[in-house]
Amino acid sequence: MTIKSRPIYAPFKLDVTGRVHLVVTNLAEAPVEVEEAVGDVLVWTVKTVAPGVPAPAARNLRPFRSVAELLPQLAVRLAQATVGLRIYAVGSEAFIWDAYNVAMGAGLDGAEVFTHHAGPFVRRVYCTHCRTMIEDVAVTIIPCPVCGAHLFVRDHFSRRLAAFMGVIVDAEVPGEIPAAEALIS
Amino acid sequence: MRLVLGKIDVLGPSIRRFTLSPVSGVLPVAGAGAHVVLEIPGPGRVWKNAYSIVSTPSSASYEIIVRRVEHSRGGSAWLHDHARVGDVLEVQAPQNLFPPSRTSRRHLLLSAGIGITPFLSYLHVPGLSFEWHHCGKAEDAAAFAALLPETVTLHTGRNTLNLAALLAAQKLDTHLSLCGPESFMDFALAAAEHAGWPGQKIHKESFGGATGGAPFIVHLRRSGQSIHVGAEESLLDAMEAAGLVPPCLCRGGACGECKLPVLEGVVEHHDHYLSSSERAANDAIMTCVSRARTTEITLDF
Ligand code: FES
Repeated sequence: MTIKSRPIYAPFKLDVTGRVHLVVTNLAEAPVEVEEAVGDVLVWTVKTVAPGVPAPAARNLRPFRSVAELLPQLAVRLAQATVGLRIYAVGSEAFIWDAYNVAMGAGLDGAEVFTHHAGPFVRRVYCTHCRTMIEDVAVTIIPCPVCGAHLFVRDHFSRRLAAFMGVIVDAEVPGEIPAAEALIS
Repeated sequence: MRLVLGKIDVLGPSIRRFTLSPVSGVLPVAGAGAHVVLEIPGPGRVWKNAYSIVSTPSSASYEIIVRRVEHSRGGSAWLHDHARVGDVLEVQAPQNLFPPSRTSRRHLLLSAGIGITPFLSYLHVPGLSFEWHHCGKAEDAAAFAALLPETVTLHTGRNTLNLAALLAAQKLDTHLSLCGPESFMDFALAAAEHAGWPGQKIHKESFGGATGGAPFIVHLRRSGQSIHVGAEESLLDAMEAAGLVPPCLCRGGACGECKLPVLEGVVEHHDHYLSSSERAANDAIMTCVSRARTTEITLDF
């Protein structure tokens, strides 16, 4: 079954119509395809050497302490940048769509932003019961840490929230909770 | 609808403004960027020319600005030389293929020559944030200056506009809109591409020019007709003159509506709709502006 709201990701490839390329990732290292790309490619990662201490910057490489630090800096960069910049968001689905939404908010067109899923299969889950966002979910069924509802993690993905929908699993027969399985995509 | 010519203003040596009012009733509202197609009587045929509406959307009549084109379509020559106040013309309801992009916060408007007209209607849009550069010949400087507010930069000398630098300096929340003759469009599009503009942020409309060329014969496979396309008429005009109703909207090579599949022959592309790879494929033609490079061409129509 194909689920329409589930985005499909193409492999990383530089868009040669751009002049400057900025890769942003929530991973510690950009995937090897990015390393191999030739051209004017800047890479922003999330990598620390000690808590709160980002890894040293290098030519074209700028590590951040956290995603929470990286995304606002992306917004600042986009507000200053001029035409010709292409953004490549690489990493978890939650991160890449957060980055995509930052880019849209800065007035970029979808043709200037590319999303590539990389790293472990973890999902941000939106509890449709109490609206809590639950990060880094790796299984199909989880209890909501706020309202306690047992949530089934659907394949339904909201780009606006950058999250998958978590719906109550035992709505019909309270207490009847199937066993959780590891997410495989 | 039938509209009467209410007023003719001479703006420059070859530029006039025409006011068209309804014979009866009220006109459909035409938003910023809209155009009308006028049916202009000519010897033995009718010219159908598209002109941007420059009056405010709420006005009781349409105003259009027409440049007299020396060697191509006959419609502008008739409007300049023969049209008189009180003449009644058949006018097709307005279409809008060039509204200001709603998704963009800022607009960079670039126009040349009579390509000034669609952007004149943008001036009526409240709160539109734009930077507009207009290029024209020195002989038209006074006419254009009278039409433009001070916020618009008018370039009438050679090389006063550094297009490459202007295009490269734009912020990411800006869209580009272009209108002008074919050579200007080609030049501006190449410069924009070089600066890294994605096609999705470029909006274009081109009016006038490039309809004439060497005569050729078009064979229409499904209609079973062969039509001679003269040096002074477009392929679309010739098909219409033969009684056919091929698809079309903008009549200026911008909208893509008139695209027809090519079965045989080689196309001489003059549109701004097909991409360079689509042009190279030689399997489609925009009948409103493009012609045959070969003496004959066969289309699937
Ligand atoms: S009618 Fe619009 S491209 Fe030909």
